[in-house]
Amino acid sequence: MMLFFSYLENLSLDSNCFSSPPVNFLQELPSYCSVARRRTNILSRDKQSGTLLKPTDSYSSQLEGGITENLNSQSIRKYALNISEKRRLRDIQETQMKYLSEWDQWKRYSSKSWKRFLEKAREMATHLELWRKDIRSIEGKFGTGIQSYFSFLRFLVLLNLVIFLIIFMLVLLPILLTKYKITNSTFVLIPLKDMDTQCTLYPISSSGLIYFYSYVIDLLSGTGFLEETSLFYGHYTIDGVKFKNFTYDLPLAYLVSTIAYLALSLLWIVKRSVEGFKSNLIRSEEHFQSYCNKIFAGWDFCITNRSVAELKHSSLRYELRADLEEERIRQKIAERTPEETIRIYSLRLLLNCVVLAVLAVCFYAIYLATTFSQEHMKKEMDKMVFGENLLILYLPSIVITLANFITPIIFARIIHYEDYSPGFEIRLTILRCVFMRLATICVLVFTLGSKITSCDDNTCELCGYNQKLYPCWETQVGQEMYKLMIFDFIIILAMTLFVDFPRKLLVTYCSSSKLIQCWGQQEFAIPDNVLGIVYGQTICWIGAFFSPLLPAIATLKFVVIFYVKELSLLYTCRPSPRQFRASNSNFFFLLVLLIGLCLAIIPLTISMSHIPSSKACGPFTNFNTTWEVIPQTVSTFPSSLQTLIHGMTSEAFAVPFFMIICLVMFYFIALAGAHKRVVVQLREQLSLESRDKRYLIQKLTEAQRDVQSQSD
Amino acid sequence: MGQCLRYQMQWEDLEEYQALTFLTRNEILSIHDTFLKLCPSGKHYKEATLTMDQVSSLPALRVNPFRDRICRVFSHNNVFSFEDVLGMASVFSEQACPSLKIEYAFRIYDFNENGFIDEEDLQKIVLRLLNSDDVSEDLLMDLTNHVLSESDLDKDNMLSFSEFEHAMAKSPDFMNSFRIHFWGC
Repeated sequence: MMLFFSYLENLSLDSNCFSSPPVNFLQELPSYCSVARRRTNILSRDKQSGTLLKPTDSYSSQLEGGITENLNSQSIRKYALNISEKRRLRDIQETQMKYLSEWDQWKRYSSKSWKRFLEKAREMATHLELWRKDIRSIEGKFGTGIQSYFSFLRFLVLLNLVIFLIIFMLVLLPILLTKYKITNSTFVLIPLKDMDTQCTLYPISSSGLIYFYSYVIDLLSGTGFLEETSLFYGHYTIDGVKFKNFTYDLPLAYLVSTIAYLALSLLWIVKRSVEGFKSNLIRSEEHFQSYCNKIFAGWDFCITNRSVAELKHSSLRYELRADLEEERIRQKIAERTPEETIRIYSLRLLLNCVVLAVLAVCFYAIYLATTFSQEHMKKEMDKMVFGENLLILYLPSIVITLANFITPIIFARIIHYEDYSPGFEIRLTILRCVFMRLATICVLVFTLGSKITSCDDNTCELCGYNQKLYPCWETQVGQEMYKLMIFDFIIILAMTLFVDFPRKLLVTYCSSSKLIQCWGQQEFAIPDNVLGIVYGQTICWIGAFFSPLLPAIATLKFVVIFYVKELSLLYTCRPSPRQFRASNSNFFFLLVLLIGLCLAIIPLTISMSHIPSSKACGPFTNFNTTWEVIPQTVSTFPSSLQTLIHGMTSEAFAVPFFMIICLVMFYFIALAGAHKRVVVQLREQLSLESRDKRYLIQKLTEAQRDVQSQSD
Repeated sequence: MGQCLRYQMQWEDLEEYQALTFLTRNEILSIHDTFLKLCPSGKHYKEATLTMDQVSSLPALRVNPFRDRICRVFSHNNVFSFEDVLGMASVFSEQACPSLKIEYAFRIYDFNENGFIDEEDLQKIVLRLLNSDDVSEDLLMDLTNHVLSESDLDKDNMLSFSEFEHAMAKSPDFMNSFRIHFWGC
């Protein structure tokens, strides 16, 4: 094989004509001509279009026939012609129409009007797009990487709005209609049968006069006057709403709304990420980014600002050099000796253990903080000082934020020793930070879960959970989620107000100090910001079951964050020389969001199916667990449907179904492998054909030269 | 530099331009305004022409490293009529289809206009992108070789239109970056 290639190279070095054939020859080849015809239109060559209109001429009618096929398939705009030529083409098209039957004419006309209608609708829709102008101006000034962050934020606002609408329609609307007597309906309250009255005790502290600071504490922590409102699960202690003709089953609606919003979020995220995923799949090269993409699509044509253009040039310089550097490092890695490889792998193993240890320490700290906070919340709150009160209430949030602040720094230090290529380093660090951030919420929820189901003596046997400390545990979990969300919001605002703006003021006015100049202006760090909003969204997903109004609060929070971040970007940030690529960014954001969704579904499913629902409050007082609503509803279906559903959920159906899916998957994997092999073979054949073509052209040129020299 | 006669665009003309290009009403009217401000006085907008320099110094194209190529590809006889400007804006608009953008991108990147993007063209593209004085020969050769190894399927050291089309169809950033907003900046 190697001999063959060196022979080829010798050949190409021998004769110049062989390596770069005369281009005019190549332009005469039939393949080139047919591609050129496909690109433009034969009209552009024949300026005298008179012949094309006459159907009598046999050659031109052939042409016409050919054109008519073309004209039918594409709309005029897609042709690469200038406007006057398109006008002529359209006139010809319209004359063509006369020779068609009535049916074809009507078909063509209706398809055109339908397309025009769709376009007008699309144009209307783009006007309704939220924050269109803001995002466009950010794109022009800071590039597409940062613009993709703001588009992502807009997507989350819409997602939360739709989630809130689902919850509103299914749960809140019937209750509001009944409460404010808009429809003639009543609440249905089924009394508890043979339940220990101890389980139903729900002492709600309602003092007469509320001091101002306890009002503020209640607002910030969801206790006190907020606990009984429709913000939390405990308010919905209703079994149904009786309308004129039917009874609206509220427990079923509550559960269905939860499942609906989780399913909707999953589908919407997957749909949005399909485009990015497809392009990642197509890239068969090992590189994460291809050079073609960076060189031909590297320049953002919508940049209009000179300083932004300078920045783009320098970022391209940096990026291309970094890529070549990464190539070199990759080659170096491939040439490692076995001893070095063993050394590196054992070092990596050690460092990964260190990373796990750091994670374990953080999780344990969160566990301790949550336990401490929960225990002390139960004591007399009025006897404590204002600051101490808040500190204990917000202790878990504070510990989580501190952990999320310190661990990225530790991870960034550790990864230097692991000797990966630069691109992989960045990705691995980000993945570790993502996991850390999102797992902390899970740890918090699991700590709460363990506290709820653990009791000192046998008191849990009575109701299934620790009803002394948590008479209405769902409301209390909802309160924790509410506190997390409020604290997250306060931290983001505080960081912008007290860190970003003063930094900018310092840099602008104290430019004499070397230290401050070194520190420099803020750069908009995309990964950190994205993690922040995905963290907020995960809290919303977990908390929406326990606190139905939480998505509305999340929507407002993200709207405020959009404006705050936009102001911070415009007034305090300088564009970074290392720019994120938009295509990469979109895929990365949605991947992180998907991880958040998966991590949110786990505690929800466990609490819905394993922890008994509280008997003192909420719509599920009559059921053992929340999930029991479904089997009970199924048992009210007609018997044929019931047998069908029982059949579908039994093992006799699941095992064969699983095996069939495995077989289908293996088939597609084999098909993909076969296609790949064929593609490789075709590529080889293409390059061989091209070599033959060049050889023949060279022979032809030599022969022409000989004939010419002979005739002279 | 006076202004064109302030003819309002006829409604039929507007409809026709909407049907023949990918631009929306507002975009066409806004380009019409810009054109009127720049074209020489005393002429109807349909007959007036702009020079390549005038179009190159539009805010949308001022800092583009490929502005001379763009002007060359879209102009006729080295001048721009109103319809040429509209055609250019249509190709670069958001709603344009990928095949049209790929077609014109190929023409823009083909510096020596021989119907192929060869090594010489690639080197010029890289130099324009980097816009710096000290670009080593090695870097240029490396980058050119990488691009050709990825997209030159028949190994003739040139990119034909089909190969370029194939490469751009796989490129995730192409549609996003090959856009220019000619209006209301």
